[in-house]
Parts: sequence; structure tokens; C-alpha cells
Amino acid sequence: MAAIECSNLSKRFGDVLAVDDLDLTIEDGEIFGFLGPNGAGKSTTIDILLDFVRPSSGAVSVMGHDAQTEGRTVRQRTGVLPDAYHVYDRLTGRQHVRFACEMKGVDDDPVALLDRTGVAGAADRRAGGYSKGMRQRLVLAMALVGDPDLLILDEPSTGLDPNGAREMREIIQAENDRGTTVFFSSHIMEQVEAVCERVGIINEGHLVAENSIDGLRDATETGEILVVSVGHVDQTTVERVQSIEGVSGAAIEDGRVRLSVTGRSKFRVLESIDDAVGPIEDFEVIEASLEDLFARYTTGNQGDRM
Amino acid sequence: MSSLTVARKDFRDAIHSRALWALVLTFLVFSVITAYGYTEAPELFGGEAEATFGGLVFFLLAFTALFVPLVAIVVGYKSIAGERELGSIKLLLSLPTTRKQVFVGKVLGRGAVLMTGLSIGIVVGLLVGAVLIGSIDLYALVAFVGLTLLFTAVYAVIMVSISATTGSTTRATTYAIGFFLLFELIWDVVPLAIVYVVEGFSIPSEFPPWVYIVTQVSPSTAYSSGLLALLPDIADSLGENTGGGTAGDVGSGPEPFYQTPELGLVMLAFWLVVPLVVGYVRFERADL
Repeated sequence: MAAIECSNLSKRFGDVLAVDDLDLTIEDGEIFGFLGPNGAGKSTTIDILLDFVRPSSGAVSVMGHDAQTEGRTVRQRTGVLPDAYHVYDRLTGRQHVRFACEMKGVDDDPVALLDRTGVAGAADRRAGGYSKGMRQRLVLAMALVGDPDLLILDEPSTGLDPNGAREMREIIQAENDRGTTVFFSSHIMEQVEAVCERVGIINEGHLVAENSIDGLRDATETGEILVVSVGHVDQTTVERVQSIEGVSGAAIEDGRVRLSVTGRSKFRVLESIDDAVGPIEDFEVIEASLEDLFARYTTGNQGDRM
Repeated sequence: MSSLTVARKDFRDAIHSRALWALVLTFLVFSVITAYGYTEAPELFGGEAEATFGGLVFFLLAFTALFVPLVAIVVGYKSIAGERELGSIKLLLSLPTTRKQVFVGKVLGRGAVLMTGLSIGIVVGLLVGAVLIGSIDLYALVAFVGLTLLFTAVYAVIMVSISATTGSTTRATTYAIGFFLLFELIWDVVPLAIVYVVEGFSIPSEFPPWVYIVTQVSPSTAYSSGLLALLPDIADSLGENTGGGTAGDVGSGPEPFYQTPELGLVMLAFWLVVPLVVGYVRFERADL
């Protein structure tokens, strides 16, 4: 059974189509990264999963339950870190987590949960005085109440410093090891890359890519980039490099040749350069960054947007 | 039952609010001053020269009828709209609950806050008055406190329901104050204006019977009438008008129900139910 299943999901706000015929399946037990630029429809999709927002058309099922009609059952088994939330300024961290325990009908130890997310020291202070990062940790502690089967985290690293973001990833990983499905959104590729098994890229309400991290890399046309030093480099050098089998493009860059390799092993290509162009003094392999990939997926149809 | 959990959290949240305590304190002080003022110089306020406990009750009513709506606006207008505007409603609704339970919980929580604060003020004011007067009418005390709690509940329902219809506190404030202005400040004029228009732009010598019904729509008028209905003997002794348009014709047999002060109690029941339905339906359908 899929943990989350959206089919033909659309949501229109006035004349803005925030989510446009979205199909998305998240398998049980995986960590799924939901990636897209701001305003792509990530939060609207998550708001529909949580029944904050009603879809204009289409259906959503979460752990086999309809998100609209059986929302309460869904949320009993789900931990949520929403986007654009606000804590109760006058209640303490401990009171927040205790409230979540009462609502879920479990008797977890609030301080133990706060300790896990790193804010146990502030358990008895009013949450109104927390920093953004502390609030994020507090709400994560609330999300962990009752050992949920599914974690829905909307931009979880917002407000966290790099160290906090790493701790967040460790918690996500630990929960996943326990069997929890994790669905989290981000507009920052490297966070998703660090922890996700599978990624979906959303842009303008559409899912423009859905694959494993490696699969996404393989799916790029760019292939790998090599930067090679072969002594003196001029335009003839570039032309000779370009004529080698497996080289799809070459150019001069800081006195070296930058080339992209497709359809042939990079070692073969290096050998050919060594033979045909001249002895290789040094080389560097640049992996196509997912960031580039992300940019390509999400800016491809910019013309339509203007 | 997650409504009760929400109500408890809301109550806990509210009792940490200084603004609320300032209001309760203000109310306490006013109610004591009112009680003291009445017992010192009853002839200034009522027909009698002698201060009585019953007289005090009716005197205090004029004060609570104005004060309860104002406090209810302060306590209630942001209850749901504020959580929607800020986004804390997302924390709440991320938990296993439903909008219905959140709405009911808010009504219960804010209602409890209002009723606690106001009943402290009233009871202290009345007890101070009873000591100064040297007598107490327990039935009048219980009837007045009970009715005032009902009136408070009505206003808690109205204000939380108004708050549930919108995600903007600016709009919630406008609606809440608009409600107060319409039903509490200018409502007396409304039936007169209708009569004036219906009668061809002139004031008739005798008002048609429906005028009384329309006046009772105002919650505070209904509240006052309710007290007349519960304490008719005291009302008579104070010379309070216990009837509608036909109050003068005492000998003309029993009046129809809709012309008696009991109508006030029905109107309070109306205000307890109708805003709940409207507020809930609007909240249930909203995109948060």
C-alpha cells in the first residue's frame, strides 16, 4: 500500500492554478523529497494532504485513508511539521508537546522528545520567546509524538543553522530506520540529496520529474564534465578534442579544456586525448550537480510563465 | 474528546493573557463601585428610596448588559481568525482532531474564560452590596448569576462564531464591532424606523405588536427581559415595564407569549444556536 497517493489533483485559488493535475505516489517506508522553487505548489499539495485546503478536483489518499473524509484517522498516525505555522506564544515548550500527546492520546515524555530535538533546556520557557530555529525544533518534537508511521515535513530546515539542519537529517534518518515513511519538501537541492531516496520535482503545479537521486543524474543529458590540462591549449586543441568519440562538447577554460562526456567511459576518452592531443598533465572530474539539474527542470518553461 | 483538550489548552492560553485579567479586574472594580453607589443613593437610580437586594440586581444588570458584550469582543474576536492569520491553527489541525472539534473547543474555552471572569466580578459585587444593604435574596442572586452566565455564553458563541467566518483579524474586528453597534447601540431605533416607514412616514399613536418582538432580537434587551421574566415580583416593585406594547392594559387578560418578557429567554436561545451553525459551516468549508 502506498503511503501517499495523489491522483489528478488540482487546486485553483481564484485565477491561480496552484496545483495542476498532479499525480504522485510515495511508497511505504521511503524518504521522499518534494522539491521545487518557492510558489511551485509544494505547500498547497501538503496543505491538501493535511486537509487545510480542499482540492478543486482529484483525490488524495494517505495510508489508505481519504485525506478529506478521514483526516482525523490520517493525522492520528502522522507527524507534521507544517509550513508558515505559529506557536502559541504564551504556552511553554513542554505544554506544547503535552498538548500534542493529549490530542494523540499517548503518554510520551515531553521532555524526552524535546531533548531529542535539542530544546529540552527551554522546555519551561514560553514558546513566544523561542528563536525560529528553536520553534522548528519544538514543532518537530510535537511531530514525533506517538511514533508516527508517516512524517510530513514542510521545509523542515527553515530557520536552522547548518548544524541544526544536520541534526534534522539525522532525526529523519533515525525515524525512517524505525520504519516511518518520510515526505518532506524543500527548495534546497542539497538537503534533499543528503537524505532522500527518491525525489519529485514540482514546478508550476506539475510534477516535472520523479526518480531516485541516481536516476535523476543518469537522466541528465549533460553526462560528466572533465577538465583536462594538456600543456598549451588553443582552438586547434579544442577542435581535436571535439573530434574524439564520446566527447559532446569542448571549450577552453582557464588554459585547460573543459569537455563533456556522453556515451563512453571517461577513462577511454582520457586515453584518446592522451594519444591524439598530447600528454595529459592533470584532469578533474566534475559531476553534474543536481542543483544544475533542478535549475534546468524548473526554469525550462520560463517563457510560459512571463 | 479532543474538543475538551482544545478547550483546556485555549483556557490555559487565555488565563496567561494580561489583557484578560485587566478586564476582569476592571469588571470587579466597577461591579463593586456600582453596588456601593446603588446602596448609598438608590433614589438616584430607581424609584425607591430604600436600597434592596432586588433593586441592586436590576441596577447591576444595566451594567453587565453593556460590559459582557464588550469583554466578549475582546476575548473572542481573534479566537479562530487570529489562529488562522498567524498560522497556529496549522499546529492544531495537524493533530488528530477535526475542525468541528476545534470550533466547539474554542467556544467552550472562550466561554469558560468569560464566564469565570464575569461570575467572579458579579458575585463579589453582589456580596459587597448584600453586606451594605444588610439583606440578601438568594433566589434573585442565583437567577441573576445564572441568567448572566447564559448571556455570557451567548456572547461567547456569537464572537467565536464571527471569528470563525474569516481568516483576517481585521475583518473579524469589523464584524464584531459591527454586530455590537447594530444589535446593541442602534437596535432600539430599528423597529421605530420600520414602523415609521410602514406607517407612511409618521409615528402612530399605538405601536403594532411585532415591534416588541423586533426589539427583543437585541441580545442585551433579551437578557434584560429574561431577568424580568425570572424575577417578576421584584420587577413590579421597581416599576419596571414587564410587557411589550400592551404593558398598560393589565386587566385585559393574559398576553400572548410573544408579548411577554419570556420572549427574551427564547431570543437568547436563538442567539446560542444560530451563530454556532453559521460559524461552523463557514469554518468547515474554508481553505485555511
